[in-house]
Amino acid sequence: MNTEPDTNTSATTGDDGELDPAKAAAILTQATRQAQREFDPTPPWKLVAMAFVALLAFGAIWLSVRGQHPYTGPSAWALVITYALVAVLIAVSVSTTKRATAGVTGPSVRQRRTLIAAIVVVYIAVYVFMGALKYLGVSHAIVYGVYPAVGPLIIVGGAMAGVAAAKENWLDLGTALAVVSAGAICAYAGPVGVWLAVGISLFVIVSARAAVLAWRRRA
Amino acid sequence: MSSEPLNPVIHAPARLRIVATLATLPDGDELSFTRLQDILDLTPGNLITHLRKLEDAGYVSTEKTGNGTAGKTTVALTGEGRKALDDYTRALRGLLDGL
Repeated sequence: MNTEPDTNTSATTGDDGELDPAKAAAILTQATRQAQREFDPTPPWKLVAMAFVALLAFGAIWLSVRGQHPYTGPSAWALVITYALVAVLIAVSVSTTKRATAGVTGPSVRQRRTLIAAIVVVYIAVYVFMGALKYLGVSHAIVYGVYPAVGPLIIVGGAMAGVAAAKENWLDLGTALAVVSAGAICAYAGPVGVWLAVGISLFVIVSARAAVLAWRRRA
Repeated sequence: MSSEPLNPVIHAPARLRIVATLATLPDGDELSFTRLQDILDLTPGNLITHLRKLEDAGYVSTEKTGNGTAGKTTVALTGEGRKALDDYTRALRGLLDGL
């Protein structure tokens, strides 16, 4: 069921005539793949873009903190680059998600909106807690180094893992657990090295997910 | 080799594409008529004809909300439709394996 002849002509003509089983299989495969592409809000190309954004953003921060003694935290230019990259990524994500979900209504759309809202709240909580750490006099190496680099990975990744486990979505669960594990391990790299370690880890995890998705589509 | 016959309601190019497209949506989700038409590149009349056949068989459900230009029709694959596509796919595999 992997051959893909051009089925558009036959599909738009009259229809109740003889249909060869091989051709029917090709139509079924082609229609399924086309629909999967149409409805997918995070296609592999977008994941690859996200992987590069993570590498560039965390790499920029690592460059800005490299050689700091004592550690003071990311410089303004690195944060501007990071926020600009994240803003572009969010804009692209909103656009592709809108296109993918246009005309689709029902439980999955409502669940997606609720999930996004929950993740935003969790993300904000991560940074509110960062403020508490600063208020309590925790060192810059933790407040502006290790915690903001790995905190979101462990906390948001953990939340995503819970959602994926409840839905028995094994790819999402594997990705989320890989992110959580990477966050925990990268913390050992220290306030400077953690940025590069997280950037590389996210690049590898997200690229691997893109590869798995692309492979699944071709299978 | 399977001797299961191919379901004639689904075994037509346009209806096969309609059912396959709707089956990729999660259970319970609905798709607007215009988006479905856009994806399948069918004329409204052609799509309506095929949807009616699928609806008569209980494989899809359609719902119209609103009136006039604000009206919107949504289409969804029913549980019966999903099962019919599974059975059809199995029968098709059986036929192709036997060739």
